[in-house]
Amino acid sequence: MSGPVFLVARRDYFAYVSSWGFWLSLLLAPLIIAVLLFAPLLLARAEPPRILAIVAEQPADAAVVTQEFADMARRDARTEIAAYLAAAAPGVAAQALSAFDAAPDRAAGIAAARGVAAQRAPRALGAFPTPSPRYIIVEPPAPDVERLRAYLDGAQALPDGRMLYGALNIRRVAGDPIIEYWSVNLSHGEPSDIARRAMRLAMQREALAARGLSPNEADRLNTLEPRVAQFDPRPSAGGARVTLRQRAPYYAALALTFVLWSVIFSVANMLLTGVIEEKSNKILDTLLTSVTPLEMLAGKLLGVAAVSATLFLFWGALGGGLLSMAAERAGNSMLGQVAAAFLEPQLIAAFAVGFIAGYLMYGAIFLALGALCESIQEAQTLLGPVALVLAMPMMLITPALDNPNAPIIESASWVPLFTPFLLLVRAPSGLDWIEIAGMGAMMLASVALILLLAARVFKAGVVNQISMSTLFRRKARG
Amino acid sequence: MNAALEAEGLVKRYGARTAVQDLSFQVPQGSIYGVLGPNGAGKSSTLRMLVGVLRPTAGAIRVLGQEPTREIMRRVGYLPEERGLYRAMSARSAIAYLARLKGTPTRTAFKRADQLLTEHGLGKVRRKKIKTLSKGMAQKVQVLAAIAHQPELIIFDEPFSGLDPVNQRVLEETIRAQAAAGRTILFSTHVMEHAERLCDRILLIANGRKAFEGTVRDALALAPSLAVLETDGSYDMAPVLAPLGFEWSEELGEHGNRRWRVRLDNGHGSRQLLQACVEAGAPLSLFEPARASLHEAFVAMVGENVARAAE
Repeated sequence: MSGPVFLVARRDYFAYVSSWGFWLSLLLAPLIIAVLLFAPLLLARAEPPRILAIVAEQPADAAVVTQEFADMARRDARTEIAAYLAAAAPGVAAQALSAFDAAPDRAAGIAAARGVAAQRAPRALGAFPTPSPRYIIVEPPAPDVERLRAYLDGAQALPDGRMLYGALNIRRVAGDPIIEYWSVNLSHGEPSDIARRAMRLAMQREALAARGLSPNEADRLNTLEPRVAQFDPRPSAGGARVTLRQRAPYYAALALTFVLWSVIFSVANMLLTGVIEEKSNKILDTLLTSVTPLEMLAGKLLGVAAVSATLFLFWGALGGGLLSMAAERAGNSMLGQVAAAFLEPQLIAAFAVGFIAGYLMYGAIFLALGALCESIQEAQTLLGPVALVLAMPMMLITPALDNPNAPIIESASWVPLFTPFLLLVRAPSGLDWIEIAGMGAMMLASVALILLLAARVFKAGVVNQISMSTLFRRKARG
Repeated sequence: MNAALEAEGLVKRYGARTAVQDLSFQVPQGSIYGVLGPNGAGKSSTLRMLVGVLRPTAGAIRVLGQEPTREIMRRVGYLPEERGLYRAMSARSAIAYLARLKGTPTRTAFKRADQLLTEHGLGKVRRKKIKTLSKGMAQKVQVLAAIAHQPELIIFDEPFSGLDPVNQRVLEETIRAQAAAGRTILFSTHVMEHAERLCDRILLIANGRKAFEGTVRDALALAPSLAVLETDGSYDMAPVLAPLGFEWSEELGEHGNRRWRVRLDNGHGSRQLLQACVEAGAPLSLFEPARASLHEAFVAMVGENVARAAE
């Protein structure tokens, strides 16, 4: 490495890492990712149960629907305890869940499972979940919906001071049940779905009874369901059933693509603002007597690459450590399998290649744009269209997850500016070596071409003081 | 004459506009050389070509007797007209960084930075960030950054602009000291007084072309002779001077008197002028021959309009 390139890179590196923005990114990014991952779960847990009332012409209908809500709450509690034990104490999960199932109701089930954990895995007791139901069914404070409306629109509280979230009104018209759901939360219709499910089973029971069959047959029929298995036909899969472990890399690739995109966009922005700052500080002429524009471009790319490497090393060590721990401790649970997927070498390799190529391409483009801008404001007007180009591969990520080999995804993978992201998202589907080599060669050629063009634009911007405004003025003059 | 810098037929065009046209000159080794001209005359373009920032459209440059390679350019110091430093860097780091880019070893670069800052009265602020320094201090730091690698040839583009009179004097001393140490200094300015005080030789540029190249004395010799008159009260000399074809300028004299600078290049000498004053009964309180300034020489060479642009 030549001296000036190293000196420029070193100066830029230390200028960035000594700024408070760098430390904010370094420390806040994992925190923000953790919040994004766990916030929905924490919010759901923090939310108090929703209070529902059921008004029914026939008490049996109210009982059926109330039972369905109770069954659902029991299932939810079982799922939460199962997930926790799979991660915290896999050895006692089966016994604890058997105890839960044998208990007469939800509360007793939780207590029974907890009792097993207390006996056999006391360490897991500390964070043992105490799930609360999503809905609580209360006696309606008024006998009909008309008189319930004051409670439903928040004008009146229940006798115990709580507010009524919604009410289910189950009527019978010519013997057929009609479910009306009343609530001011118009976008949330889950209670009516639960009631529909319960009443459908009740109607099936009634229909069977009318034909002289046992109503319990409905319950049996309801449990009839074919077993579905998914297989991967590729020889490498060995004809084994597709499990979460095979699907997990796709989700890991999706998450890593978002990380890659965010990091490339952030560090490319650093380059852009760095050049503009140097232009506005009027330091470029001084530097240009010692450093050629190409050396300056290379030094800046290298300096910010080192900044990115520092971020990745920190995040990688932190994330890798946590993921390894999760993969080891959570074993075959969903968490363990997804964690293991993040550590797959092919994903890490695709991420590294995608970052290097993407960083060089977008970094060089942003540097060139920065050299053409005289102020941050001017750069921001240019960033709009550039951000749209950057957003395009992200729009293809969800379809790519559904079908990584769809013609549009395959074609878009060959667009050099999209390749780093789509290569990563398609990596778990097992790309052909020819395709990987082709895309690699295409990226390499594009990186070289973009660097060459960017160097020319950069030189024009920093040496000849050509800017977007002068270009537009020249164009306007014809 | 050993030339530290030679330019031969330099041309610089920006699209259809020609900034520098067929410029040739030589800067003798160890001399202080001034490049003078009004704003937009092509001084900065010329200097940027000399230090290799701009590529000439045509012409050749030799620096320290050789082609301007990177190694040669490391022996050149440059202070650009558009100047600035990294605001978040300390004064010593900024100087050392630019010296290191010129090939000075790290330890030496920092040692020299500290030494230069101390010598120039900035020792106490050497660890302060550039953004906390006053404009004058920051400019001083930039000058020091241009010489920290101990270049043989120093090129300053408008070094006095933005400095207060005290700091202008300090910079003049710095330039003299560098020259005394055997270095060659080339600087551009549009303030003739600096060149007059400092330069051994000057290059006058107008509209991108060479108007004059030579010693300051040679330049002054091209200026017209002058006489300075001062008249009491409100006496108007115009009716006396105009019929004889004299050109003059008027300024305020001492004690509210009117002062007249009269050019003596119209075929009449100071004797004829004095005689005309006496015959007209002008209330003279002063009559003396005056030395023309470099500015007046410049006006004589390039004309009033071009010279006015320089002001």
